[in-house]
Amino acid sequence: MCDTIINIVNIVGKEVVRTVVGLIGVFIVVIGNAIMLTWAERKVAGHMQRRIGPKEVGPFGLIQSFADSVKLLGKELLTPANVERPLYFLAPTLIFVPVLVTFVVIPFDGFLQVKDINVGILVILAFSSLTVLSILIAGWGSNNKYSLIGAVRSVAQNIAYEIPLLLSLLPIIFMANSFSLRDVVEAQKGLWFVFYQPVAFLIFFVASVAETNRTPFDLPEAESELVAGFHTEYSGMRFSLFFLAEYTNMFIVSAIAVTFFLGGYQGPILPGVVWFFMKTYVLVFVLLWFRWTFPRVRFDQLLNFSWKILIPVSFLNLLVTGGILKL
Amino acid sequence: MRVVADIIKGAYSLIVGMGVTIRAFFSPVVTCQYPRETINISPRFRSHTKLVGDPENPDRTKCIVCGMCERNCPSNSIKKIEGEKKEGEKKKTATSYILDFTTCSQCGICVESCPVDALAFSSDYNPVGFRREDFHYDLVKEYEKRKKTA
Amino acid sequence: MILAAKTIEEFRSEFKSVDISEVPYDKQGYHLAIEAQTGNLLNIVEFLDRREFYIVDLFCVDYQDYLELVYFFNTHRELCRVKVTLKLDPEKPVAPTISHIYTIARWYEREAHEFFGIYFEGHPGLTYLFLHSGIDHYPLRRKHVPVPDNDRQLLDSFKPQEEEDCFFVNLGPQHPSTHGVLRVVLKMDGEYIVSAEPVLGYLHRMHEKMAESKSYLQFLPNPARMDYPGALLFNLAHVETVEKLCGIAVPERAKYIRTITCELNRIASHLLWLGAFPADLGGLTPFMYAFDDRENILDILEGVTGSRLTYCYFRFGGLYNDIDEESFVSATKRFIERMRERLVMYDKLITGNVIFINRIKNVGIMEQAKVRKYGSSGPFIRSTGIPFDMRKVDPYEAYGSIDFEIPTGHTGDNMDRYLVRMKEMEISLNIIEEAMKKLPSGPFQTEKVPKKLKPPKGDIYHAIESTRGETGVYIVSDESDTPYRMRWRVPSYSNLMTFPYLAQGLLIADAIATLGSYDIVVPEIDR
Repeated sequence: MCDTIINIVNIVGKEVVRTVVGLIGVFIVVIGNAIMLTWAERKVAGHMQRRIGPKEVGPFGLIQSFADSVKLLGKELLTPANVERPLYFLAPTLIFVPVLVTFVVIPFDGFLQVKDINVGILVILAFSSLTVLSILIAGWGSNNKYSLIGAVRSVAQNIAYEIPLLLSLLPIIFMANSFSLRDVVEAQKGLWFVFYQPVAFLIFFVASVAETNRTPFDLPEAESELVAGFHTEYSGMRFSLFFLAEYTNMFIVSAIAVTFFLGGYQGPILPGVVWFFMKTYVLVFVLLWFRWTFPRVRFDQLLNFSWKILIPVSFLNLLVTGGILKL
Repeated sequence: MRVVADIIKGAYSLIVGMGVTIRAFFSPVVTCQYPRETINISPRFRSHTKLVGDPENPDRTKCIVCGMCERNCPSNSIKKIEGEKKEGEKKKTATSYILDFTTCSQCGICVESCPVDALAFSSDYNPVGFRREDFHYDLVKEYEKRKKTA
Repeated sequence: MILAAKTIEEFRSEFKSVDISEVPYDKQGYHLAIEAQTGNLLNIVEFLDRREFYIVDLFCVDYQDYLELVYFFNTHRELCRVKVTLKLDPEKPVAPTISHIYTIARWYEREAHEFFGIYFEGHPGLTYLFLHSGIDHYPLRRKHVPVPDNDRQLLDSFKPQEEEDCFFVNLGPQHPSTHGVLRVVLKMDGEYIVSAEPVLGYLHRMHEKMAESKSYLQFLPNPARMDYPGALLFNLAHVETVEKLCGIAVPERAKYIRTITCELNRIASHLLWLGAFPADLGGLTPFMYAFDDRENILDILEGVTGSRLTYCYFRFGGLYNDIDEESFVSATKRFIERMRERLVMYDKLITGNVIFINRIKNVGIMEQAKVRKYGSSGPFIRSTGIPFDMRKVDPYEAYGSIDFEIPTGHTGDNMDRYLVRMKEMEISLNIIEEAMKKLPSGPFQTEKVPKKLKPPKGDIYHAIESTRGETGVYIVSDESDTPYRMRWRVPSYSNLMTFPYLAQGLLIADAIATLGSYDIVVPEIDR
């Protein structure tokens, strides 16, 4: 048995096997994370509102999300009349591509990383911009005014917030001298970067809330204004793909924040992967906490906040960092 | 400078708000996990009406089949009040009293208008049924059932 | 009173030939009655407009021989209700429109048109407001009067046409933040609203017609179905009007209990709004907190009235039953204590929140001068700085012997409306506390209330301050045991109709915040 596996590995090459196994692992993490997070969100929401949340299916309602996903899978795929069919079908699938790719470069541990690309952060930023494309397609293809408004909002919002997102990561890259995520983590062996770059961390975190379309920046969905925003017309499995993508995105931005600012998988005693997930879920909890505390900002305020505050401040931060490093 | 002060003040207000929710997060829940737990129903709770038994003769209700409640009901929910005069009794005894609970709004006008106080509200807070007819209660029969279980 | 005397004097000098008479206020609920003619109606309305009267209500009564249009006016400075009537020929009822003087008349006249078939000359669009083309006769006419074909075309002529660079969005009737089934047709340019037009009637149940076929007593459960969050207050409006009409006295104890329960209900209603308003802005947690508090009030009220939402507790001449003093007082005291702490918590969670402040400050500004034209009332106008509250202006029940202040705002924006309501809850707590201290013992019901009420011939208007503003009932009695005509003047109606004005040029997100700040209850508007 063992021999055959080694043989296969030798024939197809170590890298390929690592990629395939890694992708399967990533897939499991994505699905598991989304199911965990839906449960967690409902539970957190429940307790923050002083009620209990799901509790009937499984212990503490843990299996609730499974039951929900089975229900969503079993639902008829409704296609409303007059939708732009190719686009309408494409959008939910497309939203999943960037989500999977970004996982490839995230180092969960010293060893647990599908592939360490030397421009890892660029891969993440490039692919995460694709999410907005699928949201636009979804909104446009749905042939619904609410969806369209949601999609247009999403585009403006994502363009505005990609810039501070990138600008807040640049000082870290200066300090680590590398685009590779593993190098960034290794550079934090002593002190985490969040202590050197608290401003950058804050900017990154705020921008990433906007990138993931979470409250207080959930304008593309804005259920009190736009019914359900860009996914108004989606139901069943297609809807659940958007849902899955949203929760995976939450995980990704938290994971990047952990990698860049909170020392990644580094930590005493416990294995690195445990540290990594612990830190990530603490940040995810903060995202949930935001959602269940704050109202939504208005569209112009959202853009003003990015262009007038976040971007100038992050430029300033970048300049100061550059200056200090040069000296 | 004012911008910076505003931002700090705003950020502080957000943190205060988050303090409220996190405190709630660690506080006990306030909901009641019905049907696993139930809360006490207040004695005044108004469910459907019921006929009150005659303290002198538990075989009959106080109802004297005068029809006042039927006439006063705003939604015509009370139907078919019938009765017969039994031997040895001065007043009529109700044999049928249909309350259509689907249209009843528990206003209490029937209870008030009854000249002999034969009506009262029951505290049956979870009546269920599969058909409309399940809520056409015959209060006389309901009284007899109550009498048996009591 | 002084104003009424002054108005009558000025009126007589200006209109020599028009009948104006002083009316006993405590009998009929208004001070002056003016009988206008088609020719001079506009002059009379302009006369009142110049004296800063606001329009309370506009409706029609069918006396079979003639149709009577009734206009009610009042001022915010002093109670001076003026009833202007205009008799119309039932065969061909035509009246001049006053919608260019009082904007709200645009909707009142549409209502009168579809229910009575009255044409208003010069009205910009007499289209369906409540009804639909399936209704083939005028519902509130006493005789069967079919809707003529050309009238039907007129009624059915609301068909918004798309223009270049604009598109229409139907906000509702199924939308998460229309609080029931309100439909607003928004004409939008991108995310900006060009114009908004409310379309009503999705919850229309014709309570006014129902009243005509029920005795005064049998109508008791109905008002609670109009304004479900503030059911007791609507019950009070009905009960008080009939009491006034029949001259039934109410014992002191009942008055105090009515005051206390009504104020509790007011807080419950405000709490419902407090939950829904941040939810309109995207913050969902305050909703649950508010409902938690509201549940406490419902428990208390259930212990008194037996129901949790659609109460039917007040009776002519008193109450259905007395309170269980010990448990009620202790529960209410506990609630007041708890609520005061919770208000501090709400301040931290909502009022202070920078996102919340930025969202609602200086949005949806209602100018003080405009309010009069719409006849709005309640917290909505108090937020513009007019301290007009029926509880203070015309104290009913125990409000006369309780000292309380009226919170007002300055700018009349969403923030002010929010703050006024928050303050009102606090003041309601004080009122309850004081009323409980003064609660007298004695009977809770007058002895001699006839089983069948047959009020004397005549009409009466009586208004109370419900959660959303001035709630008035106008009853015409013909000495039978059912009202000849019952008209409900509901506050949400005139408040909501300012929405087209406020929403113009707003972002859709702000428009929804504004709509949320009205605290509208759609079943109340539709009746």
